[in-house]
Amino acid sequence: MKLDPRTKLFLAAVANGMIFSAPLVYSLLMVVVASILLLLEGKWKFACTFFFIYLDAAFLFDLTKRMDVGTSGTIILASLFLMYRIMPACVVLYYVITTTKVNEFLACMSRMHISNKVTIPLIVMIRFFPTVFDESRAIGNAMRMRGIRLFSLRTLKNPVSFLEYRLVPLLVSITKIGDELSIAAVTRGLSAETQRTCVATIGFRWVDFVVCAYCIVVVVSFTVTCYR
Amino acid sequence: MKTTGKKSSNTLVRDLVNVGIFGALYLVLSGLGASIGFIPMFIVVSTCAVSLVTSVPLFLFFSKVERPLLCCVLLCTLFGIVMTISGHGISFGLLCVIYGVLAGLCLKLFHKNFVGCLLANVMISFVPSSMMIPLWSSTEEYLAYCSSVCDKAYIAHLAELSSSYWPLIGLFGFGAAGAVVGGFIARRMMKKHFERIGLAQ
Repeated sequence: MKLDPRTKLFLAAVANGMIFSAPLVYSLLMVVVASILLLLEGKWKFACTFFFIYLDAAFLFDLTKRMDVGTSGTIILASLFLMYRIMPACVVLYYVITTTKVNEFLACMSRMHISNKVTIPLIVMIRFFPTVFDESRAIGNAMRMRGIRLFSLRTLKNPVSFLEYRLVPLLVSITKIGDELSIAAVTRGLSAETQRTCVATIGFRWVDFVVCAYCIVVVVSFTVTCYR
Repeated sequence: MKTTGKKSSNTLVRDLVNVGIFGALYLVLSGLGASIGFIPMFIVVSTCAVSLVTSVPLFLFFSKVERPLLCCVLLCTLFGIVMTISGHGISFGLLCVIYGVLAGLCLKLFHKNFVGCLLANVMISFVPSSMMIPLWSSTEEYLAYCSSVCDKAYIAHLAELSSSYWPLIGLFGFGAAGAVVGGFIARRMMKKHFERIGLAQ
């Protein structure tokens, strides 16, 4: 099922708003729609795992909060909070990122009359998160092979050198990837000052209206509950 | 060769790509640095950790961009947009834009020399420090929001912090101090690594 990129952006904005500022019920409503969309995209394994972890984290969060176990509890609560509050937002963003092609996103932003100065960094930023994590993991493995770990006596003695060992290779690798990316972008004519055309067809269909209507209903019901 | 002084649109694309890349890196590293704030006694000094960790990438970013004002504004605006979407409010997003403009102006006025980079780094270090302003500006709402997330001891510590303005000054002070120390570390690393392999001027 193909949604318009603008619908996906609207869904992401509403889901983030509800997940971070509304009570759990509204957050759950957005989690359900994100899971259904992921299932319709054929990512049933991911959707089921996410839903299972989400429910477990919500249950454990509630349990730990009632136990009131002090500072160590705050760290556990923070980890569970990351799982049950931030993970749904990440899943919605995952859906948006994995199902939207760059050319479709560019075309949609151009339809909304948003400048390239905002669109290009936004696209690069969204696409770059997995690269940052992959590179960081690879560098972490290489450093672990050399005995450089976060929780070691060597790091405690000289934390700046640990920062250097982990950060410098990451920055070098990322900067080189960035240079290659900008050369590729220039080669593809991203710097041309003319109006761009796009072969991808984007537009609103009935599915977009259903998703938008669902989001509007959730927002309106939350607003009504707040002001009642 | 005679030049018109107008910068090419190719360099604009390169700058925009750099904003995206370093924006992603800044978000990840600031999240990592700020995570020590989950320990109550480190709440105030967490801004220092964020500034220390993000100084090296920011210095590399400053050295790579050709339009410092535009790039700093965009970097801070993107961070502000992400944080606004994740529930920090529009006022925080606007503050991010202001810090971005100030950082860009510092770089532009000092022609990207060390003092300019250091001042820009200090300006950007105020971005994570400003995230906790609601604890003093709208204390009850902020504590009510935190009570759904943290345990009672943590909330009590936050309430204790909100009773005086010194912790707020501490947040900004530690952030700025971290940015200055991080700036000197970044200069050393730039000379030792990045300038040597030609990644920075």
